[in-house]
Amino acid sequence: MSAAAPSIKSQPVYHALEWDAMGVSHLLFVANDDKPLLDRLLAAPPRGELTVLTTDTTTGARLKSTEVANTVVTEGLASGLEALESMLRNADMGLRLYLVGREDAIWQAAGIAARYGMSSAEIRLFQTGTKARPVFCVHCRAMTRGVRTNLVDCSGCGRTLFVRDHFSRRLGAYMGFQIDAEEPGVKPPVEVAYP
Amino acid sequence: MNAEISMILSRVIELAPGIREFWLVPEHGGELPAYSGGSHIVLSLPLPGGVRRTPYSLVGDPNDRSKWRIAVRRQEQSRGGSAWLHESAREGQAIKVSMPANLFPMSRLGRHHILIAGGIGVTPIVSHARELARLGHSFEVHYAHRAPEFGVLLDELRKLAGRDVYCYVASRGETIDFRKTLSGRPLGTHAYLCGPQGMVEDFHKTARDMGWPDTHVHSERFLAPPPGETFNVKLARSGREVAVAGDQSMLEALEAAGAEPPFLCRGGACGQCETSVVACDSTLQHNDLFLSQAERNSGRKIMPCVSRIAGGCITIDL
Repeated sequence: MSAAAPSIKSQPVYHALEWDAMGVSHLLFVANDDKPLLDRLLAAPPRGELTVLTTDTTTGARLKSTEVANTVVTEGLASGLEALESMLRNADMGLRLYLVGREDAIWQAAGIAARYGMSSAEIRLFQTGTKARPVFCVHCRAMTRGVRTNLVDCSGCGRTLFVRDHFSRRLGAYMGFQIDAEEPGVKPPVEVAYP
Repeated sequence: MNAEISMILSRVIELAPGIREFWLVPEHGGELPAYSGGSHIVLSLPLPGGVRRTPYSLVGDPNDRSKWRIAVRRQEQSRGGSAWLHESAREGQAIKVSMPANLFPMSRLGRHHILIAGGIGVTPIVSHARELARLGHSFEVHYAHRAPEFGVLLDELRKLAGRDVYCYVASRGETIDFRKTLSGRPLGTHAYLCGPQGMVEDFHKTARDMGWPDTHVHSERFLAPPPGETFNVKLARSGREVAVAGDQSMLEALEAAGAEPPFLCRGGACGQCETSVVACDSTLQHNDLFLSQAERNSGRKIMPCVSRIAGGCITIDL
């Protein structure tokens, strides 16, 4: 379930997702479906109001037919994050936020929650779906999303970046640095590292 | 460590029956160090029986670098500090004062701040209000006190927070209802309380019941060192042995004997004076708010500022 031991302290480790019984209301954001996980969670819902916001139509279709939670389905991550933001804008203290999906999606959602003053004590994250990484270029500060390989051409400056395990929670991305800065043109073979 | 500056008590103001404000200015002139809202200083009071060091929250404007202001309530069970400030302190007197330290800082990421004061606990709340007003942050103040005349510094709070100051006056039968104060608050709200122990406990329990995470609920409480039996403390490194009187804390006894153990709050809150226990031939009496239950159970740590032993001798790693 959870990721392998991190190679570096900053790399996130995701523990099996559980409801936080201290919360009085709960918002579950699902960017990538995980039927066994959601079945387990919804079989024993927490006390208080529960809302599921999902950008995954498979999840949405399945949950619409249940009575356990208020379910909101949006098309695509961008509109899902907008919907999340408007929910957080109107939410009260006592809310717990659960973020399920690929790292790119859940850390963008976590960034929005932080802007609304939520602390890590109120947010739980769980990675599902692709292991593709959002990569932050340390040279030009551009973000390259959905990276599955150990090397990637930066979407901003075009440098070939090596994707590190060093993760920034603030940026919600892994650090990428130019692989051939010392010896131009000398690069290891490109491999799929994050399927 | 434990650096002190020489200051002069430049003004003494009666705020209410049993509550006095004191102004301190640097003896040799110059600008005082800056501090943040919620900070306290430790005064070394020249009591007849020896120096008594006591922490007080700063209530003045952190931007005023010419003086420090504190407000002190005379404690019914004073160990000498507040009684001395109320009876013996005179304008013009010299007092040694520590650098400011902040164990009750504001969370700058908060979207709204609820400041709650119980009685003389208003002191750090006033300095928080000053800082929040200066930064233009959204905040409100709740102030519970015994009777109208004990609403000290209320005019200053009203100047800073305008209409968002709510008073709860016990003599009028008013009490603060934390469930009401904390309900329907937007995400990212932080709540801060300084007041008596029962109020602090009620505040934390209510907040937890209402789903507030501990990261958003802040309180400050200093304990006076409780008296107890006399005992001896042995310093493992030098082999010296110091007697601790019943009305003296271990830290005070060590200082009186010329040792200089580290300290910051002197009230069991900060952890600065945490010391390893090498041996103890009686029972440890932990009175601090810092050590975890596991650390207490281990019998290997003690906070000399407020904790003691039930007679006999303790050897500590100093």
